[in-house]
Amino acid sequence: MAKIQSDARVDRPLLFRIVAICLLALIVAVPLLGGPLSGSALGLTPYLANIIGQIATFALLALALDLIWGFGGILSLGHGLFFAMGGYLIAMHMLKAGYVYGGVTPDIMTFMGWTELPAYWFGFESFPYAFVLILLVPGLVAFLYGWMSFRSRVSGVYFAIITQALTYVAMLLMYRNDTGFGGNNGMTGFSTLLGVPVGAPGMVTGLATASLVVLLLAFLACGALMRSPFGRLLIAIRDDEARLRFLGYDTLWPKLAAWCLSGVLAAIAGALYVPQVGIINPRLLAPEVSIEIAVWVALGGRGALSGAVIGAIIISALKFWLTGFVPEAWPFILAGVVLVVVTLLPNGLLDLKPQRLLAPLRRNRKPAPEPAE
Amino acid sequence: MPFRFLRLQGFLAAAILLLATLVALPAAAQDRADIVAEICSGDFAAQQSALSRLAGAGVEAGSEGALWARRIVEAFEGRSLRCGDGLAVIDTPDGPLRASTLEPAEGVDTSTLSAPSVNLRLRAVAASAGAVLRLFTEESVAARAEAAAYVDRRREALTPEILAAAVERETDAALRDTLSTLRASLLLADPDPVNRIAAIEAIAQDATLRNRTAIAEALAGETDAAVLAAGEKAMAGIDRTLALGKVLATLYSGASYASVLFLAALGLAIIFGLMGVINLAQGELIMIGAYAAWFTQEAIRAALPGLLDYYLILAIPVSFLAAALVGLLMEVLVIRRLYDRPLMTLLATWAISLLLINTVRVTVGSQNLEFYQPAYVSGGFPVLGDFIMTSNRLFAIAVALFAFIAVVILLRRSLFGMNVRAVTQNRAMAGAAGIDTRRTDMMAFALGSGLAGLAGLALSPLYNVNPGMGTGFIVDSFMVVVLGGVGSLVGAIVAALGIGQINVVIEPIYGAVAAKVLVLLLVIVFIQWRPEGLFAPKGRR
Repeated sequence: MAKIQSDARVDRPLLFRIVAICLLALIVAVPLLGGPLSGSALGLTPYLANIIGQIATFALLALALDLIWGFGGILSLGHGLFFAMGGYLIAMHMLKAGYVYGGVTPDIMTFMGWTELPAYWFGFESFPYAFVLILLVPGLVAFLYGWMSFRSRVSGVYFAIITQALTYVAMLLMYRNDTGFGGNNGMTGFSTLLGVPVGAPGMVTGLATASLVVLLLAFLACGALMRSPFGRLLIAIRDDEARLRFLGYDTLWPKLAAWCLSGVLAAIAGALYVPQVGIINPRLLAPEVSIEIAVWVALGGRGALSGAVIGAIIISALKFWLTGFVPEAWPFILAGVVLVVVTLLPNGLLDLKPQRLLAPLRRNRKPAPEPAE
Repeated sequence: MPFRFLRLQGFLAAAILLLATLVALPAAAQDRADIVAEICSGDFAAQQSALSRLAGAGVEAGSEGALWARRIVEAFEGRSLRCGDGLAVIDTPDGPLRASTLEPAEGVDTSTLSAPSVNLRLRAVAASAGAVLRLFTEESVAARAEAAAYVDRRREALTPEILAAAVERETDAALRDTLSTLRASLLLADPDPVNRIAAIEAIAQDATLRNRTAIAEALAGETDAAVLAAGEKAMAGIDRTLALGKVLATLYSGASYASVLFLAALGLAIIFGLMGVINLAQGELIMIGAYAAWFTQEAIRAALPGLLDYYLILAIPVSFLAAALVGLLMEVLVIRRLYDRPLMTLLATWAISLLLINTVRVTVGSQNLEFYQPAYVSGGFPVLGDFIMTSNRLFAIAVALFAFIAVVILLRRSLFGMNVRAVTQNRAMAGAAGIDTRRTDMMAFALGSGLAGLAGLALSPLYNVNPGMGTGFIVDSFMVVVLGGVGSLVGAIVAALGIGQINVVIEPIYGAVAAKVLVLLLVIVFIQWRPEGLFAPKGRR
């Protein structure tokens, strides 16, 4: 199954730079337009700033998935799991900090009739501790599952399905009230973040800007990483893992490293997302949510970081816009987008190059290869 | 002389026989007159004994006697029975009737007659006797059930013999159970310990939870050591049978869940083995199958109501073909364009499942469908203890068995089956040997989808049918495929049974979530050991 990558899909220097510059522009514009200029004609309403912030976290999530799917050839249908982990951990921090420093009793304590929070909530009032856990817990889960799967060479469709099952089971667990994470009500009623009240005037734009900054940093870092020897190795594993093994490479560790990095990035996205929406509940773990992440990446184009970011932005913006007035139509639109992308645009929107638009019926489009089954 | 004597003897015997027959007929009439006289006597003990005899009329005098007795008891209760001058009549709007014969009593002035006194205790006995007689005379099951509930509370006129006769006559199974239990508790209250032991042993013959409770209740106030010992022994025996019945019932419900899983997973496994594609819309094809069964039911109800009982049978081809057609369209329109990109087929089939769910939701609605339950899928056969082999589960198992046999024959004996096996083993070589691999893919995809449709039909008498029903099955079906290995019929059966049983065994103890978690963890650990599944085809892949 030797497939030679003549197409420089991995590096799209121009597109990459355009996306980076746009993100930079947003980082400057959002605090400016949402803060001092919010009253002017160009000013951002808090609602719009909040949506920009949310979309930035989605783009970060898509970036995480593209790392493993686009460059490693490993599809995860369970990235919602890591996203939700980050979300739950930051929610625990915010509730505990509000409880310890602000005296706000979390809803779940009243609801469950607890006089104190369970033992595993210990220390969550400290942000550094919570932050370390946000990196550590998803990383550890990703490591354990990835190590078990990659070691026994579970890959492709099998791997994807089991990640989906994992997320599904996590959802069932979180729906239970006795696990101590709020059950089907989830967690809400956050009061402070980093000592600032949630309702403070600059909070919305601040969080949105922070999300954009993290997105840009992750985007640049991942771009550098994928251009590095490690990235090249990962791409080589995607294209022909067996050959690399015969050449003497240990393919387990590069895959595992990329997988864990992807999980941690997704968790950071979740930790940025939850303070902006003010609630987390197990619906984030539904299999549909995780598949939708894959749809963002597929639409934007796998194997190009800029594509993943663009795909996430387009679909989530469309969703925010459309569900406002035609909520019933959204599933049909989403399904239609997916079917069009997978049948007509194998590499997503990246296929829409000018010369392709001129010759749309050309048959020899070469899709990005997937690992040999 | 001896000869003559014999003749005389024979004559005498014949005469006595004749006399006996002649006396027998008026004997019933005489009894009735006696009973009426006792009731009219005003003597409490005589009245009570008369009422007991009336209550037993259903046992001794048949239904005609029971009807008469009921009439008398009701008249007595309603104070329309009038006595006096050695005469007893029932006062009715159409004129008085003679109590013993129910013939019109002409020329009797009821105003000169008085109703016999009814005190509180007598009224209770009469009410109880009336309810007992209703057990024997009422036409409707509901009225008899009501009477049974009444005598359970007011047992004044009740005896074990009467209940034995009532159980004998009863046609409704549930009511018969109620009456048997009632009889058991009456027997257990017998003053003689020997009778109580006999009662316990008799009751323990029928090992049900209900009888166990009856014995346990009786023992609660028991003082006699022998009775207590017999009771403990009987309960231990019932417990063993009940435990065994419970195990069998669990295995049975696991087997029926496994049949549905097997049907869904078999289709998945065939498709995955052949094309390396996992169909995330398999759950929605189950839903399509169930909806096709419902549409068949509605069509038959509208066009041929006489055949409504057979709609589940008639729906077998409909459900299969409906799901197969949807599968065929999926393959032709989408899947075949993605043959070298299996990961993309996950997204594509997910999009199709989203489309199917929402299309059904918009067109038919999201409420649960109402299914008519023909006689052969309602009720069941009691087997052991409280284990009832319910027909709806039996139906699911039967459909799965039928489909399994059909698929085995198809794959092993037909040209199409040979093609499927060849393409599964080596696509390029099969193509080189002249097999149309694209066509084989298409047909196999339709077959796998059709099997999911059959799963939908099989579960329609068991589970709720609504647009979102498929999502619950999909994860378990995949686990069956992963566990069983690809393209192995035996593997699919073993894995489906295993996962089905784990689900029903764990669920009552730790809950449904724990069952799913355990299955998933088992599968993850299991693929460490055998990544290709339990029954993977031999050879390198």
